[in-house]
Amino acid sequence: MIEFASAALLVIGAFFYFAGTVGLLRFPDIYTRLHALAKADNLGLGCVLAGLALRAETLATALKLLLIWPLALAASAAVAYAIAHRAETLGIAPWRGEEEP
Amino acid sequence: MIAAILFRGLVFALLWWVLAEGRADAWGLGVAAAMAATLASLWLLPPGRWRIGTLPLLRFLLFFLWNSLRGGLQVALMALRRWPGLRPAIQEISLALPPGAPRLLLLNALTLMPGTLGVRLSDDGKLQVHALDASLPVAAEVRTLEAHIARLFGVARGGMP
Repeated sequence: MIEFASAALLVIGAFFYFAGTVGLLRFPDIYTRLHALAKADNLGLGCVLAGLALRAETLATALKLLLIWPLALAASAAVAYAIAHRAETLGIAPWRGEEEP
Repeated sequence: MIAAILFRGLVFALLWWVLAEGRADAWGLGVAAAMAATLASLWLLPPGRWRIGTLPLLRFLLFFLWNSLRGGLQVALMALRRWPGLRPAIQEISLALPPGAPRLLLLNALTLMPGTLGVRLSDDGKLQVHALDASLPVAAEVRTLEAHIARLFGVARGGMP
């Protein structure tokens, strides 16, 4: 049961990483790409870490794995803001969209 | 003050136990590290500025987890759809939270909430938000997050604590 839950979480995590990378490649400008990277990858990381924590041999190891998540979240949120802020300071206008067929 | 020192020391000791993966063979070093970390935290973040209750913290964590799940799902579906359906725009929102930790938390949490990205926060509390899809209720999302953070820090919006 734990084995299955862990495998499911790892697969879901891989899915979010995949979607985040596809967003990074497909989205049109720096701001929209930041959305994809920050949100999807963090969810992917959370799922992967939860999946690994279920497999950990001791409670302390599991907690150590889970501790990575808030640290990575804080770093990636701050970096996303820093990049967006810099882009706006440089005068990079956000993509306005074009009519989709 | 004594309570804050004890609490922080305990948290750092627990953190050492987690980092050492439960091994106890270097506990002397662990005690020294926990004490040094407590001193540093008292210097960098003196106690008493903000009071955070356990219940509001749990509520905020649940809200945050649920919304980061929504945000991740939304952007993942947009990335994988044939037509992503992006309608980006930058909106300006005036924050009612006091400066300092509450505004910083809002700015950082916003990046992980559905469809929003903080672009510029000026000192007077005006926040430029980049929205993935401006036809969604972006301002309402920000207001909800703001209300949760105000409750977390126990501050009334619109005034100093």
